[in-house]
Parts: sequence; C-alpha cells; structure tokens
Amino acid sequence: MGTVAGEERAERLVEAITRRVQDVPLLPSVVSRLLEVVGREDHSINDVVRLIENDLSLTTRVLKVANCAAFGRGQTITSLSRATLHLGEKMVIGIAIGSCSPQLFQRPLEGYGSAAGELWDHSLRTALATREVVRYAHHEVSSDLAFTAGLLHDVGKALISEFLEGQTGALVQSCREGHSGDFLAAEQMLLGTDHAEIGYALARRWSLPDPLCAALRDHHRPDLALDFRELVFGVHLGDLAAMLGGSGTGADTLAYKVETGYEEYLRLDKDDLDRILLIVQDEFRRTKASIFSELEAGR
Amino acid sequence: MSVIYVGVGEFAISNRPGEVVKTLGLGSCVAVIAQTPDARLVGLLHVALPESGINRRLAEERPGMFADTGIPQLLQEMRKRGWNSGPLQIKLAGGATIMDPNNTFNIGKRNLLAIRKVLWAFRLGAIAEDVGESISRTVWVNVGSGQVIVSSPGRGEWEL
Ligand SMILES: [Fe+2]
Ligand SMILES: [Fe+2]
Repeated sequence: MGTVAGEERAERLVEAITRRVQDVPLLPSVVSRLLEVVGREDHSINDVVRLIENDLSLTTRVLKVANCAAFGRGQTITSLSRATLHLGEKMVIGIAIGSCSPQLFQRPLEGYGSAAGELWDHSLRTALATREVVRYAHHEVSSDLAFTAGLLHDVGKALISEFLEGQTGALVQSCREGHSGDFLAAEQMLLGTDHAEIGYALARRWSLPDPLCAALRDHHRPDLALDFRELVFGVHLGDLAAMLGGSGTGADTLAYKVETGYEEYLRLDKDDLDRILLIVQDEFRRTKASIFSELEAGR
Repeated sequence: MSVIYVGVGEFAISNRPGEVVKTLGLGSCVAVIAQTPDARLVGLLHVALPESGINRRLAEERPGMFADTGIPQLLQEMRKRGWNSGPLQIKLAGGATIMDPNNTFNIGKRNLLAIRKVLWAFRLGAIAEDVGESISRTVWVNVGSGQVIVSSPGRGEWEL
C-alpha cells in the first residue's frame, strides 16, 4: 500500500469495521457486572452468587451445567451457591459469556478459514491455559481474571473476519514470505487495523475493567502493555499453549511472534509446560462438553 | 466413505480398504502413521507429549498421549491385527515449532525427537515427514491406497 489511494481505502475499512463494533449489542447487565466484580481483587464468590441469582435464565443454566454428566456428582444440586462453589467461578463466567454472545463466538470465521465453533474452542482453551500459566507469575494474578481474559482475548476476530474474506491465502503467503512479520501485522497491512485493536474497541464499548482491556489490546505484544503485564503475558502464553495444543482459528494458528521477554514476569520450564498442556487438555474436554451442550440446548 | 477420527492421545487401526483415518488440528502434537507396504493395514497415533514420566497414571489410562508409551502400544495392537513384524512404512506429520530461545515452548521439537528415538528402538524410521514450521495441520490416510494427505488452513492440501 503506501499510496494515497491505499491509505484512503484503509481509512474507509477502519471506519467500516469500527461501525461494526458499534453495532454489537451491549452485554446484558448481569454479565457486565459479573466481569466488573471479577476484575476486583477483593471480590468473593458470594458477590458472584448474588449477581447471578437476580437473573433467572443464567441461574437455570448454571444449575443445569452443575448437574450435567461431566460435572455432576450423582447428587442433584439445587442451590445456586452450591452449584457455583461446585463449578468454580470461572465456569460460571464461561457460561455467562458463552450464552450471551453466541453470535460472536459461535460463528464461522471465513476470513481466517475457520469453521463455526472454532473461535469458542480456541477461546475456552486459551482461558484454561492462561489460568494455569499465571500460577507461574512472579506476582499473584487472580485465576478468574486470567480465565476471563483468555476467554475474551480474540473476540475482535469475530468482527474483522468478514473483511479478510478472499484474502486468507494472501495473508498466509505474506506471513510465510516474511513481508509482514506475523499475522497481526498482515491484518494491519491489509485493513489498517487488527483483531487486537478491534477487540480493544469492543472492550471499551462494553466498559470492561482495565486489566481485560489491556489483555485484549496487547495479547500479541505484551511487551508494549503499559500495565497488568503479568496478566497480559499470561494471555500471550495461554494463547500460544492453546494453539500448540490443537485449538486455533484456522489460517493464523501459530502465525504470531512469541514475545520472549516473558521470563521477567513468569517463570516456567518445559516440564511445567508439559503439565500445563495435560491439565488443559483434560479440562478442555470436560468443560467443552458441558458448557457447549448447555449452550446448544439453550438456543 | 467412512472416516475414523482420532482424538488427542488416541490411536486407530483399520484394515478396511477405502476407509479414511483422520486427525484434526495438529499443533505441537504429532501424528504417527504406520502402514504395511501393501497399505492394507494402517495405524494412526496422535501423540501429545514426549515422555510418560510426567504422569504415570494418565499413561496407564491413555498411553497414546506420550511417545514412549503410545508407539509401543500402537505396534502391539497392529500385531494383534495381523502385522507380522515385517517392514512397516512410517510417516510423521505435525510437531509445529515456534521460536523460543528459552526452549520452554519448543514442545513440537521435543515430541519429534522422542518419537524418532522410540521408533529407532524398534528399528523403524520415518520414510516421509511433514513437520516443524509454525502451522496447524490436519492429516488423513486412505486405507488400501496408502495415500497420506496433509492440509493446513490457507495453504491447501498436499500429499505426504
Ligand atoms: Fe489474538
Ligand atoms: Fe488467540
């Protein structure tokens, strides 16, 4: 690009994509308050229960998952607080986000060459991996915040995918030949923006807490994050672990730079990574089966 | 045409001509494909990690997760299905690598090294490999023809 016409085209594209961001419905208030609570370090599980019990459909979903085959203990759980304790806060957040925005997470990403459901799988696996990775951070990071950041980190892809349609091969080619550095840079070259920037714009529209905004914006460039670096590096590595573990979103899978400065914020060796991959694989199977069947049934 | 899907840490063996054995979305995991020279007996194993020492209990439950337990199990089961310990053709796909100077995330490379070592102990070696690089792969093999195809989003598909 670099020509005036090219710049104008890029400007128009960025405008069109930004309009798409404005068209995304706001989060249901129960979900945005849930994310706000999770963003506070001093919150307790009771805060979460109190929020959910005001929302009948979310309460029903949480109870259903708690009693489904993969998580049930043979004994019926009828109280929301027991269900929440049993599943853990992260599962409840997963259920809330997954069920309120299927139109974002469940659609195919044609521009990435990715089938319906793959973005949700990638997000869920990244969430689980990020939660495991931040255990190795030098300063404590809330595991629920890590899970939530992982779940949301690539939501921008749902908005820019259609603008990449027909260009997938060219994007891959440009990464492969080293013209663009990585897939994020390739998006930037083609569109004048990228999925991290657009995810951040959506995070702002949704008024997400600052650490989540930072994770969405900087997950491929954690070295550029101004704050919350443990969390942002955690998502960066969680994303990588998800792609290595077999859940990507098509053509961009593994096509990103790895920011090797992570050792300043997290210390993990290859045995730690092997253990993380195993735990994530196991949890992914269980979690996917339960949340997913519940979401399908809820539609 | 029937397709058998092989999940992470699983394996499948087929001797039905025309059947396809397939595994999806290999990142650092590696598909080990073993077939008799006439391609009438085909096995595919989806290995996730190099060594079972990291979780012995899981290795008992699902030996296919690890190179050092998965390959012996695959070969043993192929023997049960009629392989007479004659020559076997081995092909490998997957084991994507990434640049990490700290080496922690080079799991694809460690998987490949471990797999080659275990194969070597059985006096086997791969006749073809599509490994490394920072890409995701799907791979399938046709029983009977023995044709192995690898695909990757945005790159199309090719024969291995
Ligand atoms: Fe991303
Ligand atoms: Fe990602």
